[in-house]
Amino acid sequence: MSMRSDRSLVPQLSTGLWYGYLVLVIAFLMTPLLSLIIASFDSGQTFSLPFEFTLKWYSNALTSTSVQSAVDSTIRISIPVTVLSTIIGTAGAIAYTRYSFPGQEYFKIVALLPIFFPLILLGLGMSMWANVTGLGYGIVPAIIGETVWISPIVMFVVSISALGVDPNIEEAARDLGADTLTIYKDVLLPLIVNGIVSGGIFAFVLSWNNYYIVSYLKGSEITITTWIHGRMTQGFTPVVPALASMIFYVSLLLLLVAVLMELRSSR
Amino acid sequence: MSVREFVRSKVPTDIDRFDRRLALVSVLRPPSGLIIPLVVLLAFMFVGPIASIVLFSVQPTNTISLAVADWTLDAYREIVQGTISGKGVYGEVTTNTIMISALTTVIAFAVSYPAAYALATKVRRFKLPILIALIIPLFTSVNIRVYGWVLFLINEGVFDLLAGSVGLDAPSIIYTRSAVILGTVYVYLPYMLFPIYLSISTIDDSLLEAAADLGAGRTKQFVDVILPLSKPGVIIGSLFVFVLSLGAEVEAELLGGGTIYTAASNISYSFGYSQNWPLGSAQAVGLLLITTVCGVVILRTIDLTEIASRGGSR
Repeated sequence: MSMRSDRSLVPQLSTGLWYGYLVLVIAFLMTPLLSLIIASFDSGQTFSLPFEFTLKWYSNALTSTSVQSAVDSTIRISIPVTVLSTIIGTAGAIAYTRYSFPGQEYFKIVALLPIFFPLILLGLGMSMWANVTGLGYGIVPAIIGETVWISPIVMFVVSISALGVDPNIEEAARDLGADTLTIYKDVLLPLIVNGIVSGGIFAFVLSWNNYYIVSYLKGSEITITTWIHGRMTQGFTPVVPALASMIFYVSLLLLLVAVLMELRSSR
Repeated sequence: MSVREFVRSKVPTDIDRFDRRLALVSVLRPPSGLIIPLVVLLAFMFVGPIASIVLFSVQPTNTISLAVADWTLDAYREIVQGTISGKGVYGEVTTNTIMISALTTVIAFAVSYPAAYALATKVRRFKLPILIALIIPLFTSVNIRVYGWVLFLINEGVFDLLAGSVGLDAPSIIYTRSAVILGTVYVYLPYMLFPIYLSISTIDDSLLEAAADLGAGRTKQFVDVILPLSKPGVIIGSLFVFVLSLGAEVEAELLGGGTIYTAASNISYSFGYSQNWPLGSAQAVGLLLITTVCGVVILRTIDLTEIASRGGSR
């Protein structure tokens, strides 16, 4: 949008007010996360005043065997979900953005629809379906269930990145004698690789933080989010804020990497 | 008889096999080969579960296996009668759910619009850090974030710690409907903010210049150009927030402290404690219909090409 050339005090002041408002919105969005971090360093059995600094809940979280087994189950779900949904979502994105075929818009609508579903609906529908079909509950059903929700998100992210690539580029490569495989390997995939990597990181972080779907499909397995939820609602321990904070730190780090990848690709 | 047919009549088996292999290859050739995995996955674990919700809603009370032939409308009858007679929780659940979703949508809009407007038109420096700060919450587990609000709001919580240090003493809103709405506004705010931001940033600068040349002041530019052109974003964002907050369960459970019942918490209760799948499903069908309609409307409106060309961190 055009900047006015009159650099007087008034527009600068109003820009400052707009920034101030955004800072307030960000402060609102950060409030619970910062509260969690503050509470994770408090020494009380339940968070209470006065505040006393400690690191013991972090060390308890890292040494607890029930936390370790929850981390273990979460990883056994998250890694396959990341791999599967990155492949499936990327394939869908390439089909939608680099080809034209009958029913393309319907494909987009159906493929992206799960993103708009409240997760509780997906979770309980999947839970009944797993019972009816004999799929059962546990690691594998949880992987399939999360992949249904996360693949469309990867497709969305990769599509945005693939739509930025010149539509004539495959044609040019084909004219120069490249076959389909070569076009993919040497032309298309290198151009959208940053989108794919950030889609993959989003997939991992979303799977790692998933609660609703996994809680309906996990069976007797306990993942980090269901462990935390169980301890929040009954049998609270001060390890909960510490563990939740650690998950937040890891998610934040991965997210920053993903954003930087996206940024590099858009340059 | 063509040459091909002639040859086929002579050596039928080999050519048939070759044809079939050719057919298989052409089925797997892009784009079909790229679409099939996603379509199979969704057909199995998205369409199947939705069908289960619909089918279970017409089963007799407390069944956990499907016998489609024995269909009944008992579950629906119970909900409708419960709502009409005012007995049980249905009346309260409907009021709570609609109140929470409607207020959440309105408040999220009021908070997001100025922020989206500022982000799209006023912010030049620090745009990327601001965008990152706005999306961080989306990638943190819902129950962790809502629990953070509990820690903030509880008696002697983080709020009291901060307020106490400046000598303030305010009663906490935790375990009220306001607390639940605070939670849903918090969780779904980004779903309102980003569509509006994208729609404002797709407005062509030259339109505003033209409006200014024709003598429109800043207010008139905003009312006559920006506001109408950002309507798609507002509609998408509102549908998004309304639908997703209909499904708010953790917010009601943790911030409502088990005293505020919403459709989602009631559905989850029917599944969890009372093990009544048909009753839970019948309640879920309403949510399912609203969700599907809104989802399709949103997706028909969204143009990915436009988002890709304008939505970057320009």
